[in-house]
Amino acid sequence: MNQAEATRTVYWNITHIWVMYALLAPTILIAGYGVFRRVKLWRRGQPEQRFDQPWVRLKMVFHHALLQRATRRERYAGIFHTLLFWGMIILTAATTVVFIDEDLSIRIMRGQFYLWFQSLTVDLFGLGAMIGVGLAAYRRLFLKPKQLVYTTEATLLLVLFFIILATGFLLEGWRIAATHDAWGKWSPVGYAVAMISRPMMSEAAMRGAHQAGWWFHLALVFGLLAWAPYTKMAHAFTAVLNLYMMPIGPRGAVLKPLDFEKSDTALGVNSLDAFTWKDLLDFDACTECGRCTSACPANAVGKPLSPRDIILDLQRLSHSRTDFTEPIISATPALSIDSLWACTTCAACMEACPVGISQMPKIVDMRRYLTMEKAELPETMQGAVASMEARGHPFAGSQFSRLDWTRGLTVPQRAEVQDCEVLLWVGCGGALIERNQKVMRALSQLLEKAGVKFAILGREEKCTGDVARRLGHEFLFQSLAKENIATLDRYQVKTVVTACPHCFNTFKNEYPQLGGHFEVFHHTEFLERLVAEGKLSPRAQSDAKVTFHDPCYLGRHNNVYDAPRKLTEISVKSPTLEMAATREKSFCCGGGGGLSFVDELPSQRVNRARAQQAVDTGADVVAVGCPFCMTMMEDGVKACQTGQTTQPAKVMDVAELLWESVRDLQTVDKNS
Amino acid sequence: MPNIISCLFAWTGLDRAAAGVLGAGQTLAKQAGGKHCLLLLGAASESLLAELSHLADSIHRADHPLLSEYHSEITLTALTQACRALQPAAVLLGNDTYSQELAPRLAHRLKGSAGGDALSLQLKDGAIAVTRPVYGGKAQAIIALRRAPAVIWIRARAQQPAQPQESAAEILPVALALEPDERIKMISLRTESKTGELRLEDARFIVSGGRGLGGPEPFKQLQELARAMGAQMAASRAACDAGWVPSTWQVGQTGKKVAPELYLAIALSGASQHLMGIADAKIIAAINTDKDAPIFSHCRFGLVEDYRKVVGLLQQKLSQASA
Amino acid sequence: MNILVCLKQILDPEIPARDFKIDGERLEAQRGSAGLVMNIFCANALETALQCRERHGGKITAISFGDTAEEVLRKALALRVDQAVLITRSSPHRAEPMEVARVLAASARKLGSFDLILTGREAGDWGDGQTGGLLAEELGWPCVSFAEHVAQSASKPNALEIRRQTDNGIEVLEAISPLVVTVTNHEHNVPRIAKTRDVMMAFRQPLTRWTLAELGLEVTAAGNQGAEIIGLTIPNKEAHCEFIAGETLEERVTVFAQRILTVLRSA
Repeated sequence: MNQAEATRTVYWNITHIWVMYALLAPTILIAGYGVFRRVKLWRRGQPEQRFDQPWVRLKMVFHHALLQRATRRERYAGIFHTLLFWGMIILTAATTVVFIDEDLSIRIMRGQFYLWFQSLTVDLFGLGAMIGVGLAAYRRLFLKPKQLVYTTEATLLLVLFFIILATGFLLEGWRIAATHDAWGKWSPVGYAVAMISRPMMSEAAMRGAHQAGWWFHLALVFGLLAWAPYTKMAHAFTAVLNLYMMPIGPRGAVLKPLDFEKSDTALGVNSLDAFTWKDLLDFDACTECGRCTSACPANAVGKPLSPRDIILDLQRLSHSRTDFTEPIISATPALSIDSLWACTTCAACMEACPVGISQMPKIVDMRRYLTMEKAELPETMQGAVASMEARGHPFAGSQFSRLDWTRGLTVPQRAEVQDCEVLLWVGCGGALIERNQKVMRALSQLLEKAGVKFAILGREEKCTGDVARRLGHEFLFQSLAKENIATLDRYQVKTVVTACPHCFNTFKNEYPQLGGHFEVFHHTEFLERLVAEGKLSPRAQSDAKVTFHDPCYLGRHNNVYDAPRKLTEISVKSPTLEMAATREKSFCCGGGGGLSFVDELPSQRVNRARAQQAVDTGADVVAVGCPFCMTMMEDGVKACQTGQTTQPAKVMDVAELLWESVRDLQTVDKNS
Repeated sequence: MPNIISCLFAWTGLDRAAAGVLGAGQTLAKQAGGKHCLLLLGAASESLLAELSHLADSIHRADHPLLSEYHSEITLTALTQACRALQPAAVLLGNDTYSQELAPRLAHRLKGSAGGDALSLQLKDGAIAVTRPVYGGKAQAIIALRRAPAVIWIRARAQQPAQPQESAAEILPVALALEPDERIKMISLRTESKTGELRLEDARFIVSGGRGLGGPEPFKQLQELARAMGAQMAASRAACDAGWVPSTWQVGQTGKKVAPELYLAIALSGASQHLMGIADAKIIAAINTDKDAPIFSHCRFGLVEDYRKVVGLLQQKLSQASA
Repeated sequence: MNILVCLKQILDPEIPARDFKIDGERLEAQRGSAGLVMNIFCANALETALQCRERHGGKITAISFGDTAEEVLRKALALRVDQAVLITRSSPHRAEPMEVARVLAASARKLGSFDLILTGREAGDWGDGQTGGLLAEELGWPCVSFAEHVAQSASKPNALEIRRQTDNGIEVLEAISPLVVTVTNHEHNVPRIAKTRDVMMAFRQPLTRWTLAELGLEVTAAGNQGAEIIGLTIPNKEAHCEFIAGETLEERVTVFAQRILTVLRSA
């Protein structure tokens, strides 16, 4: 038979086709209304600009929707979801082909195309989809991981999918068998069904079953289509939309400033109508996958924070409430005040989310309400705020001044030099916490050795305000920021290097929002460049085994992973050990989001969990790149090693490691 | 000849603080070439009078039924009347809370000037000058009290106790005209200390906890240690403000001033305001994870360690040794 | 209740000890890197006033005496006091407690009738602890000091119930207004944080400004002061601390215990 004529009769064995078209109308109406209702809901939110840079956005959709890149970060789920996703797309394409061929009379469903695509490809993808459903069902019904949300709806959807796919193959098989389809083998699954059915059913039986089954299949499909927008299957369209609208740029830029000049500016969020339409879309895009909660370090140590439940509770409230002005904080257990204050702003939730939801900024939005509208924040955090207001740094009780770390070194102060290439921003942690002063000493000696013309601001430095912003005190943040920007502008600073990723992030991604534009480097980036330029060369390499703990504000917030590793690699002989939770998946040290200033319950210490992970690699040295991480990891490592007889691991900044390997052994080590 | 008055409340008796006030009075009277007058308020027993008889040049008994217990307005009026009668150049009081609140008001009524928390007194260009800590203990000021009388409350336990003099004091009554004052009435008094326990200011050994303890529970551990040492408990302001321990435990600029033989500071950084309260301690020791904590610059010996690892073990060793 | 709260602005007392320097000529602390803050006990007094108003209603007036003190009054306005008054002085040397008390008394009389005047027990700079008592004397009112809690008496309507700290313990007093109360720190009067909206509004609120002349007073000349600062030094007390060393923790604690026992036994 001529392959060019290969095809099948559409609607074979089916009469009264008009019924299908008739049923299509209410299906579309119901589904359409479901979509319309959601869009109407989103429009109740505040305005937000998410339609810029369309090409960049389309690329994001391409990567995460089509290529399923974000979904595939979790292996098992990634596999079955890709199978399901592409299965559905191919099957939908197949139906579209039928429509084009049959209703538009454009005869494309023939020949090679019919054989290779409409038959073979569709069958294989359909089978893949069924395998996908099977894998998903196994997980949901037998493995039962904690991170999923167990509802009847979710199980029902899986069952529906399965039956639809199964009936599809049955119908195909019975058609192939009953029509003695010459091209049957091109649809391997259908062909297998045909082979199995033939000995068991007469042709008449198959025709009967086919007819009934066809309408049954149709009813299920139309039913699912109509129902989908009202269920989590809405993510089929909301997720794609949400991926298109994802925040562009580094995660560290994701918090938006408030305009305090305007008298009607809402100070934070405590009601659904204070969220933007994009936030409301975020709630609807949620697929209940639970990855955010799984990735959350606070959740992992037993704190009440669950990003998944925050989003889903808000979704539920947005659907059930008519009054969008009612308070949302404390409306559900997941939205409790304790839960909101447990967040370290590490953004692991955002990294894990396959549909681009921004969970963390919503927590900060609610903190803004608590801190600025109600002036209610945990007592120790209040101490940090009061200290920033009175003294320009959050470390109340510190007996150090901003210049103490320079004792014995010649570190130029900006006010005393004509100009400088680079402003070394020391930060509050670097200057006022004793352990971190050693890091600054190592760093300044490295810069000096490399011949970099740098200077520090000394007493003129004020806290960048990162802590204030994360605590929700946007007002204090902006006042500190404006002061710092004015100081830097007065000194015509162009380039800033800092050893603190929080300062780094704030300078790079947040100060531009307030008119401060500088070229900003984290010290690991800058040092790496100096090494690459030959201005610093390692002389000796340590035998120590090193593992690197990615700071959240350097890694996940700003995508800098390699520079610190390059530095550890040249400082020690053996390759850097990687923890299981590394790079984008790094587990927070627990110090961000103002949590450095909170006394946690001994059983709920994020830093202890992370320190255990570091210690478990067998490393002698845990390398860090952040003053908060330094404090947290030292504390955590010490706690892990109580009762152990082995030599405790040392915690060192990457700059200290580099200095050890770079400095002349004759040079007096001014770190001692 | 100027009169130098030392005030003593009969109900406290001749304790270490009173001995210090009298000692300061004696010294100042000698320096000024004046007469040391002891103003004794309240009902004094014969035995107390006997104890006091050689510690001043004259003893002025100001007793009245309304002085049986402290009442700020009535006691102030009594003091004023007694002092006016004596026309003193200086009036000295101790650093108990009653004296602290009375001194400035007394100075006002006598049209003199007040000075407080005096570490020492001296005569400078005809005026009495006090040396006292200022700026939260970061500095020391010398303040000349130019308008007589100088009404001064002093760090009593840091002064040399009064020395018995040869002749016995003349005992004179003071006429008082006092009336009840309904504007202030005492409803109740809640003491934290158990009966028989010394006041913190008189304790010989003290164990003190700071902000680093993080909560009320660790203080219980410290109490066990204190018991093993025969010491009393104290705390920094941070711990009291946080509600972890009673405010009566507070030592510092605005807490108790203590003068123990041994002050053991645990997880306490030693801010200058706290150091002001322990300036008279003989030996200070500390346990702190931060070797740069300011407390160590005032210690005789110290342990740079996490208190959690030390306290239980330390208590064991101390109990073993005394067993 | 009609309450007057007296607030003092001082140099930040929390600066590191190493940064603290003295102006040998003017006999006062150098400004240096220190910010200007509200004295903590004054803040405790303000918090006490706010809690009284919350519980019993009434009006709070905040007052401060000093040329740069507007900032502490703005902070008080951000905490929603009903009125703020600034008395300016225009004189370089410090105002001794007697002068301050006189000025505050004159202002209180000019402002109207108060039931309660709250001050901090002392200031974190000079720490005289006299102003509250002297103010009471100027007004002829009784004075209760070291209060940790002030409220209207539950049993007697025009009386106040005051808990105060003394050497003997916590006294509970019943006092008839008007009176002056000096406030000390307590876990229940930790100063609250202002709401941001109120902070923004505070700068637009009216602030009454008086000079001494408007009160019928003049600056006490330095030579006329009853208490004159004639010397100011930073004491040098660096003891040499023996940091107990030892291979193991057990050893170190043993030695530490020995040191303690030596002192306990010889005392």
